[in-house]
Amino acid sequence: MEDAHRFREEDMPRLLTVQDLVVEMPGRNIKILNGVSFSLDTGQTLGLVGESGCGKSMTCYAIGNMLPHGLAQTGGSVDLSSNATPSKAGKPKISMIFQDPTSSLNPVHTIGYYLESALHRHQGLKGSDARMEAMRLLERVGIDRVKSRLRSYPHQFSGGMNQRVMIAHALAAKPELLIADEPTTALDVTMQAQILHLLEELKAETGMALIIVSHDLGVIARLADEAAVMYCGKIVETAPVEDLLARPAHPYARALIDCMPSIDASDLEPPVPIPGSVPLLDCLPHGCYFHPRCSRASSQCTAQFPSSAIVGPAHQAACYHPVAA
Amino acid sequence: MGAFILSRLFRALVVLVSTVTVVFIVLRISGDAAQQMLPDTASPEALTAFRAKWGLDRSIFEQYLIYVSNALQGDFGTSYADGREVFVIVSERIPKTLLLTVSAFILSIALGIPAGILAAVRRESPVDKGVMAGAVLGYSVPNFLLGLVFVFVFAVWLRILPSSGSSTWSHMILPVATFALFNAAGIARFMRSTLIDVLGQPYISAARADGIPNWEIILFHALPNAAIPMITTLGFTAGGLLGGAVLIEPVFAWPGLGSGFVAATSSGDLAVVQAMILLFTAFMVTINLTVDVLYAVLNPKIRMQ
Repeated sequence: MEDAHRFREEDMPRLLTVQDLVVEMPGRNIKILNGVSFSLDTGQTLGLVGESGCGKSMTCYAIGNMLPHGLAQTGGSVDLSSNATPSKAGKPKISMIFQDPTSSLNPVHTIGYYLESALHRHQGLKGSDARMEAMRLLERVGIDRVKSRLRSYPHQFSGGMNQRVMIAHALAAKPELLIADEPTTALDVTMQAQILHLLEELKAETGMALIIVSHDLGVIARLADEAAVMYCGKIVETAPVEDLLARPAHPYARALIDCMPSIDASDLEPPVPIPGSVPLLDCLPHGCYFHPRCSRASSQCTAQFPSSAIVGPAHQAACYHPVAA
Repeated sequence: MGAFILSRLFRALVVLVSTVTVVFIVLRISGDAAQQMLPDTASPEALTAFRAKWGLDRSIFEQYLIYVSNALQGDFGTSYADGREVFVIVSERIPKTLLLTVSAFILSIALGIPAGILAAVRRESPVDKGVMAGAVLGYSVPNFLLGLVFVFVFAVWLRILPSSGSSTWSHMILPVATFALFNAAGIARFMRSTLIDVLGQPYISAARADGIPNWEIILFHALPNAAIPMITTLGFTAGGLLGGAVLIEPVFAWPGLGSGFVAATSSGDLAVVQAMILLFTAFMVTINLTVDVLYAVLNPKIRMQ
């Protein structure tokens, strides 16, 4: 087991390696992503967490090669290599699901068209084969009366059902990596739980890797093996998810955990908000980007951005004054 | 769908009747047709005789009832000016105007839609800037002025095209070009902004993330959505065609409804004016009806209701 593990570490390329990724607005000196690095193996789940505007979604778009108009990758690399099918040529497939499922579905096309055209594109299925497979996928993601649903339009479905449709669509590509960008943010709480449960099941079933983006640490804790905390276009801490929740090293990670409300009766402490707000990307503070909001900041923090340091097993943080375990 | 069309048809009928009524009343209280038609030197007896001949001495209500009951039987009266049947006068002008406006409409769509799509797809490129500069120019020059410029350049200066009349195909070129360039400019501008708006929608990003080729995204994912607001604009453009004909036809002495309407209005030929307005209204109502039906065809949200 140990040997197998070592073999993989040393000889097999990882499914996804992101190295020093930089995304900028060309012409303006604004770095949306500023040196993001991480990697992911088949079957692993990475959670990206952070406040709005920290670059979580942009990281996903860069990996999926779908940066919005006006943004460009100006540095670093995104490497995908397939372990599961080494003989098969081509890159492993990535599928994405998005925050607002209803507006991510084309309003003029039926669910059937949407799924069948994806099945044709990714698996070469046509006609009744595609229709059968589309119905199977819809059933798999928990939609009933699938035959009539194929003729429905997205506006006839609830947000939760549309997210299921998006997941079914993502599965049509038989992805080795599924990127879920805030998949439950626009849904109500019961629907959130169902969608998370579905993602868990599908992950176990297909063995695909998953990147889940959320500002909700609860979602990350439930699904992810590893978590990466982002702030202003940089990853400031990475750790196995239990480790991060139990022993956050970066004051920002600590603060994110402290501002989570708890329904535990023994924990009567009110959530602590993080003072201040995320700085604008065109006027980032000198040194560590978090220091103006950080209680532990020293003169060192204002001088230079701290490099990532090992603070525990598989646990790294970019901080001069990490919170003691 | 059947009930939808039926309710729109009923609405169209209401619009038609109300317009005819309002126009009928306004035309009769806004001036004395007898004084307009007859020379200034006409005697009071002649004026009275004229009014009696055309029933203008009756009350407006009576005139209206007579007009409507005749119109329902297909009799739109006789021209005050030359005593011919209004129906004949108007219907011999219809083909001329249709020839002009329909060709111009088709040409403006054929120019405007691809130009707008190209500008939106190649946003911020020199192609986009060129198309938009042309569109702003075409849109800001009033179309009768553009017509006069064309007449000056191609008929007076270069002497390669006739400036007025409608006897040959070459007579069509200048009025159709004038008409189409103005409309194409508006269509191109709207097509561009609509398509850019659609291309920024999450479902387009989602389609890109799925690896669908760009041309397929534009053709099958973006354009069907952009078509919905586009129909509104095309409806406005089509509705403006007759108004445009009123401005452009006199410039090129094109013997259609536009120049006929201008002549009838200035001479006070109420029967002809009234019939033409009825026709214009019917045209407008038909276009609106078509737009409503096309909405339902293109937009599943409306169709499903």
